[in-house]
This record gives sequence, structure tokens and C-alpha cells, in this order.
Amino acid sequence: MLPYLKPFVAWVTEWWKNSRQASSVWRLTRLYTSLLLLVVGILLLLLYQLSVGQISRNQRSQMGELVQQQKLLAQELNQADFIKQFELQAAGSRQYILSFVTQEQVYGRLTSAPKYLRSCPSITRFPIWLDNYDEIRLISGCSQALPQGLLVIATDDESLFDLKTQFISASIIALLLALALGITTGLIFSHRVLKRINTFNSIAQRVESGEMTARVPVSAQGDEYDHMALHINTMLSRLEDSFHAITGVTDAIAHDLRTPLGHLRQQIEQGLMDAHKSGSPTDNLTEMLVKLDAILFTFTAMLELTRLEQKQQTTHFAAINLQVVINDAVDLIRPIVEDNHQSLRIVGKQNCIVQGDATLLFRAIYNLLENACKYAGQHTQIAIEITDNGFIISDTGPGIPDHEKDKVFQRLYRIEESRSIAGFGIGLPLVRAIIRLHDAQIALENNHPGLKVVVNFNSAEQ
Amino acid sequence: MRILVVEDNDTTSQYLQKALQEQGYEVDLADNGQDGLFLALEHDYQLILLDRMLPKLDGLSVLSTLRNAGKQTPVLILSALDSVAERVKGLREGGDDYLVKPFALSELLIRIEILIKRKGNSSELSNKLQVADLQMDLLAHKVYRGLIEIQLQPKEFKLLRYLMEHAGQVISRSLLFEAVWDYHFDPQTNVIDVHVARLRKKVELDGHAPLLETVRGVGYRMVEKQ
Repeated sequence: MLPYLKPFVAWVTEWWKNSRQASSVWRLTRLYTSLLLLVVGILLLLLYQLSVGQISRNQRSQMGELVQQQKLLAQELNQADFIKQFELQAAGSRQYILSFVTQEQVYGRLTSAPKYLRSCPSITRFPIWLDNYDEIRLISGCSQALPQGLLVIATDDESLFDLKTQFISASIIALLLALALGITTGLIFSHRVLKRINTFNSIAQRVESGEMTARVPVSAQGDEYDHMALHINTMLSRLEDSFHAITGVTDAIAHDLRTPLGHLRQQIEQGLMDAHKSGSPTDNLTEMLVKLDAILFTFTAMLELTRLEQKQQTTHFAAINLQVVINDAVDLIRPIVEDNHQSLRIVGKQNCIVQGDATLLFRAIYNLLENACKYAGQHTQIAIEITDNGFIISDTGPGIPDHEKDKVFQRLYRIEESRSIAGFGIGLPLVRAIIRLHDAQIALENNHPGLKVVVNFNSAEQ
Repeated sequence: MRILVVEDNDTTSQYLQKALQEQGYEVDLADNGQDGLFLALEHDYQLILLDRMLPKLDGLSVLSTLRNAGKQTPVLILSALDSVAERVKGLREGGDDYLVKPFALSELLIRIEILIKRKGNSSELSNKLQVADLQMDLLAHKVYRGLIEIQLQPKEFKLLRYLMEHAGQVISRSLLFEAVWDYHFDPQTNVIDVHVARLRKKVELDGHAPLLETVRGVGYRMVEKQ
């Protein structure tokens, strides 16, 4: 049994250790199983001590008493008397096999005594041949040296020994069953709990990716999870309301103002044409037009951002080779890079195919390259690497401090140091909205020195 | 030259009428889709400016009915719907160009002129383009200024080709970007100017007459073919 047990135990301990990183539910399961095993173990130990242990302790003490008795008798009686009383004693005792070995003869029930017997109270098991049953039995006994010879005392405890072995194997089976029971209940329990927690997680993820209408399903059980679900749903509804209120207001403002601003633009252009004809100065009007165009651009970008974030864009995605789009974007930015004395290279020639909208992806990539070019500073190196599931744009400029990395994706947010550089603070939010629309992730990392923008698409194929 | 403007906003249509008349076009106005479709079917216009959101019959329905009736009049869609998907939809229905409101008048005029001219010389197919002593061999992908060969990057070649094909016409930055890169949005920077400046440096050689002129605030123009 033991050789089979060893690898199994090794496997269990290994698994036990490895599941350390697992979820809190698993940790609870493990604790629960360990406690169960401990309780069962203590119970079995108690049971053993009270049954088998008690019997074997009694036997030992009786054997001890017998030895003590013979020892005393040996001191008081002479050789002949001692042997006489011993033979009587040996014949009368049914439970204990007594023998006395002198140099000439062996008295008592045994015909010979093994040499390897240890002296009492340590017990040695040795075989004997039973004439009346015609069989060999294993008995336990010990020896005690007396002045007259060697006293051997033994008892036939084979049934007790069998009981012990049976008890131990039964205990092992019981412990294994307890382990299996613990793990099974733990598995079922954790599966149930995890299933519900996973529902919460997936809903949270959906909301995070812009699906504001997602809600946690509420069961009829009315337990703690349902309470939590109800609270979360109320919270989501509130959030959705205020989100709609905000975007509604922004959209309404941007949309309603775009028409009058458009008309204003028309009037300024008209004025500009009239001024050209009459030969009056046009600088003022041109400047107005430039400023108005900047306002209109911001409005358009804001509206577009809202639309992208809400996944309102009904674009038909197609298979896009990132390499093609990246080459186009690099072609467009290259003269500016060269004017800035920067270097720009494309690394990796993988064929990375993603599902997407070419124009939107081009805008995102161009925007990131433009940012690298704008904020990295002169004489820096910019690289765009095509990876197995996306691309990485890195530069050797000053980078973005860690605490700003999340903020730069917020609308109209600009890092203090970069305020001197022209921009609206809408580029990166737009990039992120486009990336998210494509079921992809964008992360800002440190390039030591500089910034590394990592984009990974879930739909990427080679 | 007669242009039909289908636009329900009075301010915009009045403005368009005035601006177009100043450029020497005759202008008819329609303030809803039905009237617009009727006029478009009845007359032979050089160009139709079509709004998308119109009362009675929306712009895209006007367009598809017109095309189904066999009218191939160039149509420039004017719309506040600015997403790429909307643009694709408009062009798929048979629109020839798509301009997002609010637009710059100069941009509109450039695009109108290109659409009208395109109709005129679409039959002119040639493997060679020539403007003054600048020659472009479309098959061999080679460009010569007089006898000197000019080395161009693929994108520069496309840029020059578009300018030469439209020699004599003013071309806006966004038109150049769309023609060369084929993505539909406004990069909003002077990046196209930088590209044109580089191209100009390569093409304008010492001792040769300048060919590519900047139209301030509007775009670029290649000198007329002789």
C-alpha cells in the first residue's frame, strides 16, 4: 500500500502548495479541508488510544508484573523450588507463555527461546510452532536475566496486532475520504461562489468597456450576493443616468452650437471675400477664421470621442494588415521626424492581421507617432514595433511620470510640462477610444528612458 | 454652368447661392428632398450639392433614386454626419464626394471645380503626364524635369501625380491627403505642407521655372499645362 501512497501524497502536497496563488475561495477550501483532516485525525487517535492502545498497555503492564514477581521469587527461592513454582505458574497461565532457560534445560511452554530476544520491557516479535494447531504463530515477548537462568515471557497477541494494522489502514482510508470529501465540497462550494463572483466580474468588465446598460442578474434566493447585486445595479443605474446626462449635455451643446458656429464661419468667409474684392485688410478676419476653426475642431473631436466611447460608431470591421497602416502613418510623419532631427524606424516584419477600421486605426497610430514626435524632443529615437498581437511605439524622450499615466487619457487633460506645446488634450482619449472600440488594450510603460505605448489586439492573427 | 443646391437650412442655402453665383455658376435651390429630386431629374445640372438630412425625402434616397433613374450628374454630399461609416454609406449610394459641415467655402469650391472638370476629361487616358518641362511616366514610375531624372518616394510620386493631373486647379490640403493616403479625416496639422515643401524642393530645380504655387490659406496649384 505504501509505495502507491507515496506518489499520491507527493502529488497532493505539490498541488496544495501550488494552489497558494489561487483565489480566496480556494484558500478557504484548503483551510476547511485541513481542519476536517485535523479533527478526523484527533478522533482516530483518541479512539485508538481508548481501544487497541488500552489493551496493549494492559498486556504490557501485566507482563511487567509477572516479570517482577518472578524476579522477586528468584531472589528468595533456591534453584529447585524456583523451577517448581515456575512450572506451576507456566502451566496455570493461559494468557501468557512463560519459559525459563537454564544452561541445561528449558522449562515452561516453549521448547527453545530465540537468542535475539531483547530484555524487558522492550518487546520482540518471534515465531513459534504450535503442535496442537500445526501452525506457526507470531508472538511478542521479552526476556529477563535471573541468577538461575533466563526468563522468557511472551503473549499471543496476533489478533491484537491484526486489529492494530486494520485500525491503521481504516484510519488512512478515513483520512483519505475526509480529504476527498473536503476537496469535493470545497470544489462545489468554490465553483458556486466563483460562478456568481465571475458574473459580477464580467458585468464590471462590460461596463468598463463602455456597455453602460449591463446589469448583474439577481436570483430569487435573496442571499447576500443578491443584495450586493441589487446595490451594484442601483449604482450602475445612477452612473448611467449621470453619464447620459453629461454626454447628453455635451452632445447637445456641441451639436447645437456647431450649426450657428458654422453659419458664423460662413459669414466670416463671406466678409473675407468682400474684403478681398474691395481691397481692405483681411488679417483680422483670417485670424478669426483660424480661431473659429480651432473651436470647431475641438467640438467635432469631442462629439466623435463621445460617439466612439459609446460604441455608437457603426463601422464595418474588416481584416486589416497592421503593417500597411503603420507604413502609411510612418510615411506621413517622416518629414516632420526628419525636421526634428529624430530617427524613426519600423521593427519587426510580422504579418499582424486585426479586425478593424483602417481609417480609425490609421488615426490612432498617426496620433501616437505624432505625440512621440512632439513630446520626445529633438535628437531622440522613435521606434514602432509590430508584435504578434499588436504594436509598440517607443521613444527615448522624457516619458510620462507614473502618476500621470492614467490621467493623460482623460479629456482635455494636459501634463503641466507640456502646456507650452500646442495641443488640445484630446488626442490620447481619442486613441484610447479607438483602441477600445477594436477590443484592444493600450498601456503606457517606461522605456528607460522615454515612453513605451503597448497596444494589444484580442483579434490579432498572423 | 448650373448647380443644384438641395439644402433645407435657409442661411446655408442663401450663403451657398451667393458664393456660387460670385464664382460664375447659376444656382437652383430646393429646400426639401422631393423638390430636389424633381429638379435633378428634370434638368441637366453640372453638379448637385446635396444635404443628407432633408424633409420629405432624405438625401441618400434622393441620391439612390437619381442613380437608379440613370442620371450620372456628379453629386457632392454635404452633411453634418461626419463619421467614416456615414461617409462610406454616402459614397456607396453613388455620391462623388462628401464634405462635412461646417465646411470651408474654399474647400467646397475646390471640390466643386474638381468634380465638374473630372466629368469633362475623364476620357483622357494617357501613360504620360506633362506640365511645362516636368514629365511623369506612369508606367515606368519615372519623373523627369527636362532631361534630369528626379528620384521620388512612392508617396511623393502619388502627390505629384495628383497635382499634375489637376494642373491649373487649386488643390486643398485635405484633398491631397485623401488622394495620396486614402484615409478620410483631417490630420489637422501642417504635415501636408511639409510633404509639399519637400516635393517642391525636389521638383523645382535651379534654372527652371517654378511650377508649384501656394495659394495662401487654401492649398496648392500646379501651373496650367501648355
